[in-house]
Amino acid sequence: MAEEIQYKGYKVADVAKGKADWYMFTDLCKGCGLCMVKCPKKCLKWSKEVGLYQTPCVEPDPELCIGCGTCAMVCPDSAIKVVKK
Amino acid sequence: MITTLDVKPDLAKAQNAAAGASKFCPGCGHGMILKTLAKTIDELELNERAVFGCDIGCSLLSWNYMNLDTVQTHHGRTTPVIYGVTRANPGTVGIAYMGDGGGLAIGAQHLVNAATRSENLLVIVANNTNYGMTGGQMSPTTMPGQKTETTPYGRDCEVTGRPAKAAELVASIADPNKSYVARASVSNLRKLNTVFKKALKNVADGGYSFVEVLSVCPLNWRTNNEGTWERLKTMEECFEVKEFLVKEGLE
Ligand SMILES: Cc1ncc(C[n+]2csc(CCOP(=O)(O)OP(=O)(O)O)c2C)c(N)n1
Ligand code: SF4
Ligand SMILES: [Mg+2]
Repeated sequence: MAEEIQYKGYKVADVAKGKADWYMFTDLCKGCGLCMVKCPKKCLKWSKEVGLYQTPCVEPDPELCIGCGTCAMVCPDSAIKVVKK
Repeated sequence: MITTLDVKPDLAKAQNAAAGASKFCPGCGHGMILKTLAKTIDELELNERAVFGCDIGCSLLSWNYMNLDTVQTHHGRTTPVIYGVTRANPGTVGIAYMGDGGGLAIGAQHLVNAATRSENLLVIVANNTNYGMTGGQMSPTTMPGQKTETTPYGRDCEVTGRPAKAAELVASIADPNKSYVARASVSNLRKLNTVFKKALKNVADGGYSFVEVLSVCPLNWRTNNEGTWERLKTMEECFEVKEFLVKEGLE
């Protein structure tokens, strides 16, 4: 059980003028889209990558994203992570 | 492109990472409530003291969600099972987690008696205004006019009575010297975190806490992402989000 869990996904580097990296864990995203509505910048769009149920995941427009982490907080499945640099 | 990432998701220690993705539907409020609860348990360092009970209904899908000793019982019986644990093992922080159907319909007797006696536990009722697990039938908290599988023309209060107000009910019977009673909503998880903090602190000090959380069930509501958040707003108009009872000195 102590084995390290590996997580798959993709990274949108240098959002918020390079101040943060944005990550999607595709094995956790169920494509509910709740984050898109809560994003204060409305900068999340459907991705061509698919998640747990083969439905589209989301990704931010790196020019508009301010790295606030609202999407990560709202996600019922913790599929998003925003790392401030 | 999907690759193996060198970072890990932000899961609380009180969450069972090994279980992988939760068993809830896409966009389900249970996930939002439970991840906030787990984070609060971490923040208060209650990981060794907390025991978790889930009910019948979609709350049972959390049987392996928490990295805590967990038990699953039937409709509202989670409450007496959990305070049985805290009575037998004083110092345990017992958490009974259930839906509006389990807590307010079939298991209401337990909710009422535990509140009256103000037993030492935290009761959480996730109110999604329907019986989620069985396909979205009317529950005690279904709002006037709300369409469900069993109220296809909208809930008619002339026939079915008015929606149950759990937090108001509990606040009116719980011991004010021992209790914390609040209603929160998944529309604001930061506030939910604050509410859980007070609720858990009170239980860790031997008190009784009750938190009703307005939640979402996109599957049975048949709502898209925008419609889900919109429906939650109408719920917040019907069910007042606030603290109803705060034991003196609790912060
Ligand atoms: C005595 C009894 N009656 C009926 C059922 C069927 N049943 C299973 S879950 C459920 C409703 C649960 O609704 P709720 O507590 O609101 O939880 P949710 O699924 O909405 O989170 C019902 C009626 C049952 N398991 N036991
Ligand atoms: S049926 Fe509703 S409450 Fe149950 S897991 Fe699905 S969205 Fe959640
Ligand atoms: Mg319910």
